[in-house]
Amino acid sequence: MTAEVPSGGEAVRVALPRGDLRGPVDEHLRGVDFVVEGYGSGARTYTFGVEERPGIAVRVFSDADIPIQVALGNYDLGIASRTWVDELLVRHQLDSVVPLRQLDVPTAELVIAGGQGATLEALAQGVVRVATEYPNLAANYLANARVPDYRLFEVWAQAEAWPPQDAELAIAPRPAVEQEGLEVLGEVHLGGVWLIANRESLAKRDLSAALEPLLRMPRAAESRGIVRPAPLQVTARTRHAQAPAERETFRIAVPDGHAQRHTVAALADAGISFPGYEADSAARYPDSGREDVQVKVMRPQDMPRAVALGQVDLALTGRDWLRAFLATFPGAPVVELCDLKRSKYRLGAVVTEDLPVETIEEAIAYWRRDDPEKPIRVASEYVSLADEYARSRYLGRYQVIPISGASEGFVPADAEILIEGTETGTTLRANRLTMIDVIMESTNCAIGSAVRPDGKRGELRDDFVARMARAAEAAAVD
Amino acid sequence: MPDRGLRSPGMRDLGPEEMARFRALERVFLDVTAEGGYREIRTPSIEPLHLYSASGTLSPQALERVYSFLDWNGWSGERVVLRPDTTVAVARWYGDQPAGGVERLSYVQPSFRFAPEGEREVWQCGVELFGKANGSDAEVLTLAQRFLAAAGVEDLTVEVAHAGLARAAFAAAGLSTAQQLSAYDRMLEGDTSLTAELAETHPDGAAAVRLLADVDGASAGYVANLRAAMGSVIPGAESALADLEGAAQALDGVGVPYRILAGTARNFEYYTGITFRFRSGGTTVLSGGRYDRLAETLGGAPAPACGWAADILGLIEVAS
Repeated sequence: MTAEVPSGGEAVRVALPRGDLRGPVDEHLRGVDFVVEGYGSGARTYTFGVEERPGIAVRVFSDADIPIQVALGNYDLGIASRTWVDELLVRHQLDSVVPLRQLDVPTAELVIAGGQGATLEALAQGVVRVATEYPNLAANYLANARVPDYRLFEVWAQAEAWPPQDAELAIAPRPAVEQEGLEVLGEVHLGGVWLIANRESLAKRDLSAALEPLLRMPRAAESRGIVRPAPLQVTARTRHAQAPAERETFRIAVPDGHAQRHTVAALADAGISFPGYEADSAARYPDSGREDVQVKVMRPQDMPRAVALGQVDLALTGRDWLRAFLATFPGAPVVELCDLKRSKYRLGAVVTEDLPVETIEEAIAYWRRDDPEKPIRVASEYVSLADEYARSRYLGRYQVIPISGASEGFVPADAEILIEGTETGTTLRANRLTMIDVIMESTNCAIGSAVRPDGKRGELRDDFVARMARAAEAAAVD
Repeated sequence: MPDRGLRSPGMRDLGPEEMARFRALERVFLDVTAEGGYREIRTPSIEPLHLYSASGTLSPQALERVYSFLDWNGWSGERVVLRPDTTVAVARWYGDQPAGGVERLSYVQPSFRFAPEGEREVWQCGVELFGKANGSDAEVLTLAQRFLAAAGVEDLTVEVAHAGLARAAFAAAGLSTAQQLSAYDRMLEGDTSLTAELAETHPDGAAAVRLLADVDGASAGYVANLRAAMGSVIPGAESALADLEGAAQALDGVGVPYRILAGTARNFEYYTGITFRFRSGGTTVLSGGRYDRLAETLGGAPAPACGWAADILGLIEVAS
């Protein structure tokens, strides 16, 4: 059973999380006869109705996107991890999100962790590099701890994989850092799951049909959420110059996730294999077969930064991620070294099929026909590319809505444009979407520093790139 | 002004009439301060965040309200801020000069801070006096009075406090540095339970804390009373009391009525000595104080320092 989510209609709009929270939240919902058929079983649709409760429209989002959707007023009510709610509120101090109740769903707390033996006090004497998915909570924690000089690496996932080599500290869920063997230095956020509401909806709309059952869900003791650390007393400025010893080891980064299969194949074509890095499994540090070469598995999104920072000599990622990174930081010293010609897809502006237009210019005129000041909403995982696109196509007043997955359902209810990649267009067609404007053709590629390293590392880089380029060329001819 | 949604929240235009008034007041400011030997300086609009994040500069509460972002070099993870405060930037500049000099500096430039309502870009005029130890509180207080009088601000009163006094009292009561900061905040918020709590843990100092937190002074006599209550039980209060006496004498000298409070400044950890604010009617028109450790905190040589700043647009409203 599905229901269309009207953008400004009468239905009470409820946002529910995907992922790990889906199971326990579904159980609670069923406990109060708020039955969203298909939600708990992980149906691939994004919109649902609620059994026996007409007038309620449910939409499934990535956990991280729900606070933003409720803050924007696109949804009246939402259930989301408190870490993501506070990640938004701690920086933007919005009063449009009202936390109503902490639900009895156990979650992991966020902790700050470093290599064995690390202490915040000692690290704070110099420049502290901190990897995290939660930059706002991290900045808040570091400010309260009075860490004078820090660098925040906002990563897409697996922040715990950065210390101790590529960052001093990570702020990540406790189980992940413990599994990684890091030492926990303190709690940053106590976690929890919240039922949240949009303030204006609470003030102006009758939400009781959804609110009444949802408020009957079992409550958890309210935790204080954000932890305020005791301030360190680092006053004298003893900044260490950030000149780490020249690295001898040649470091390669290979991707996990969707790109993994293609990368394993590209490496195999070049006669390269890293035991531990297979099409369907990956160790954090696969075997390079050589003392002087280290292979590290990381998210392809995070690779351009790792290369720019000089932490990695060669990384196999997608051109889309390189371009997204350079759109934000045009001066970063990272370049494409060779095209691997696999994992081919188009990245572009996606709109609903129902739009009676052929071009993006016509679409803009269509959206603006009634209200010339109306902001055009551009949703994307690629925030910087979405921004660049909006400017290059003269969108005028626009909003970029950052999303972290489940993107197909965003258009048309929650955004006019989606900046999205597609290999064959099948998923888009299934969701009644169409790519109206192509931004780029992306394939996977090898990237490296704009400055070739000297000595052995430079030679190894040349050698890897030459072998992969030859193999890609040969595979393309076949 | 109609709100067509074409202006960022907290930002305003200054039309020709407002600019004329702005320039007139700026002229008064620059003339009065130049007469006093102050030379104008300007600092960058964008600064590294870490300039403001060390202990002893902005408080964490103030840091939560800075405009911080990643600029072109942000891939390194280093954030920058739109200047949230000029004093820290001037202290950085002073640290770049040959050590030991006396610098009298004035500035006219905006600071940027998030405010839920109201202005987020605040145009300030202010002075900084670096490197002069004796008589510098009196110098900047007198200068402030001269400027405000020349600007046509009437019915002036001054509120004076001393950051070191409350800290000394709290330290004597056994509070750690962190606890002192939070107790100071509670005191400024008028939290009356604080006195009772401290009286329990530190009965000897109770009278001094009560006098400090619960009674506003209005003359040099109050300072004498504080000395009587603190002298024997609170070590380290003497120099603070002497500073307050100096300030009281300077204000007596220019004939401005004043009150002595336990504290006046919030969210700036850099104050180490007297803090003050000039008020007209119910409005604060100028505020400042002493920050002897700031230059050192920023990696320069230790140097005594004090100064003040005024919100130009606020002042224009009061003066007219």
